[in-house]
Amino acid sequence: MTAIARARAPRPDPFLDIDSYDPEADLMVMNLGPQHPSTHGVFRVLLYLDGEIIIKAVPYPGYLHRGVEKLCEKLTYAQITPIVDKNDYVAPMLNEQAVNMAFEKMLGVEVPPRALHMRTLLAEIQRVASHLLWLGTFAMDLGGALGGGTSVFMYCFREREAILDLFEKLTGCRFHYNTHTVGGQRHDIPAGWAAEVHRVLGAISDRIDEYEAMLSHPIFLKRTKGVGVIDAQLALELGLTGPLLRASGVDHDLRRDAPYHIYDQIKDLKVAVESDGDCLARYKVRVVELRESIRISRLLVDNVPEGPICGGRPIKQPGQFKAKAGQVYVGIETPRGELGTYLIAGGGKMGDTPYRLKIRPPSLHALAVVPYVFPGHSVSDAVAILGSLDPIMGEVDR
Amino acid sequence: MAVNESERSFQHPLYEVLERFPGLDLATTQVDKLLTWGANNSQWIFPMATSCCGIEFMAAAASLVDLDRMGSITRGTPRQSDVMVVAGTITVKMAPRVKRLWDQMPEPKWCIAMGSCAISGDFYRDIYSVIPGIDVAIPVDVYIPGCPPNPEQLMAGMLRLQEKVNLKRAGLWSPPETRPETPKTIEPAIKRLLHQGRDRRIDAAQIDQALSLELPVVDLPPLPEPAPEKGEDE
Repeated sequence: MTAIARARAPRPDPFLDIDSYDPEADLMVMNLGPQHPSTHGVFRVLLYLDGEIIIKAVPYPGYLHRGVEKLCEKLTYAQITPIVDKNDYVAPMLNEQAVNMAFEKMLGVEVPPRALHMRTLLAEIQRVASHLLWLGTFAMDLGGALGGGTSVFMYCFREREAILDLFEKLTGCRFHYNTHTVGGQRHDIPAGWAAEVHRVLGAISDRIDEYEAMLSHPIFLKRTKGVGVIDAQLALELGLTGPLLRASGVDHDLRRDAPYHIYDQIKDLKVAVESDGDCLARYKVRVVELRESIRISRLLVDNVPEGPICGGRPIKQPGQFKAKAGQVYVGIETPRGELGTYLIAGGGKMGDTPYRLKIRPPSLHALAVVPYVFPGHSVSDAVAILGSLDPIMGEVDR
Repeated sequence: MAVNESERSFQHPLYEVLERFPGLDLATTQVDKLLTWGANNSQWIFPMATSCCGIEFMAAAASLVDLDRMGSITRGTPRQSDVMVVAGTITVKMAPRVKRLWDQMPEPKWCIAMGSCAISGDFYRDIYSVIPGIDVAIPVDVYIPGCPPNPEQLMAGMLRLQEKVNLKRAGLWSPPETRPETPKTIEPAIKRLLHQGRDRRIDAAQIDQALSLELPVVDLPPLPEPAPEKGEDE
């Protein structure tokens, strides 16, 4: 079935009226979550089942609503960076970069080239760590098909620990780094770090081949191929971004299409696109991204330019920078898609705190496909689809 | 809010049966040792992993730190678990679910609060949707501070729990857990009554203000006569 033919096929109705459903059917209502090991956090889906097949799925997010946007309104620009670390806790570097880029754009602060280079490097290494975590948990969600289910999880976490050790050497923290600031970086690259990066990423690059060999398994293909198909039309309507959109056949990557940092200097950035839109396509896209990020990181780590890591003084005391009234939007490509930061600065007396900070999380839009994609699948497939969407509830509920 | 240790008991009908037969009561101590050994080396974990600490919990269960070597296997259902690890921020919407899952766990059971959010709410504690620490809902045995704690710290917390269980089952006193962030979170700006650092001038001002109100005097009923004290010889 081609992508076009699938797009023309009738979609399941997400607003199906259960009362007027076939009264002879074997109906059952089931809760998936909020405490469920496969929901990657606290996410609840109400499933209406006909026998074993889902006929309607109603998602209920909000079990981790921490009021981050409201909290940011009373903090100064320098204080916000450690708060947004906790939004997407699998890729905190990218969160810090998103808000700090918005603040720099608003305050008109120049970032030195060394800091820009470091940001690109850190973002790519973080992307490797995030995709590794996804690969491990996705393989675990698929369950016993993969040699006990937890083998790939154990291997992926072993590699992820190596990357976290790299970050620990740089910033002192395993995650929640607080290493970005308005105008640059706080921590410089320590001596011998580049060799460490080469050693770790080289080892991971070899091991990804092993994982791919392990996962090209007939049972894995059976669980993922043709499961949870998101066509390109639906993906664009619901605002999907990142690997989910690319797996649906839309060639869109902010790193290439709207370059920031120093991505415009990387000419041969390979963007993986698959046309099937199923779980297998999402897996393939992410594995290609994993290799590409490793390649870019190893390229970048050798060419870090000399110079200061922070433009002028790092912003420390409140009132050092005063923003005029205005608004900016900054979008960057995280492992899950476009992370947007929309900042409205109050100006005047409210110059050193944001008036409103809106975060556009990619995972929230990813979860919007649940009512459209779940119907027609069995419950075990629902778990596989949810795993392939890679939602992080910290940024969905914020 | 620490656990009320006096209400924890490990009574079992088996003990009563054993005590009926002379000589067999000696065996109960051996049975107790056996049960303690078993309880300590099979603390199955129910992960209440909501946010960032959940990732560190997964890292602790993975190959590098490996909680499995202590016999602490992760279970997906509360009915098979002994220890609940609350890892992450607990919101107002989630707290009743945590309580319900805690109630479903069979006795004896323990709870570990992992990370600042589970201990005190951290910097979200002033937010309308976050509860200030999981110990307002369920009793906590071990606190593991950190944001998030390393997997090694979680391991240290599990060892601390084993130590506590050993002491408790041997009938020995174990020092109660202090909540690490208590002074930071519940110390009020104006010191409450009986606090040593309370400013006496506030008291004096309050008393003066109360006296200056000139409230109408009410005649109180007379107090009853105290009963005569009984002598020791009677």
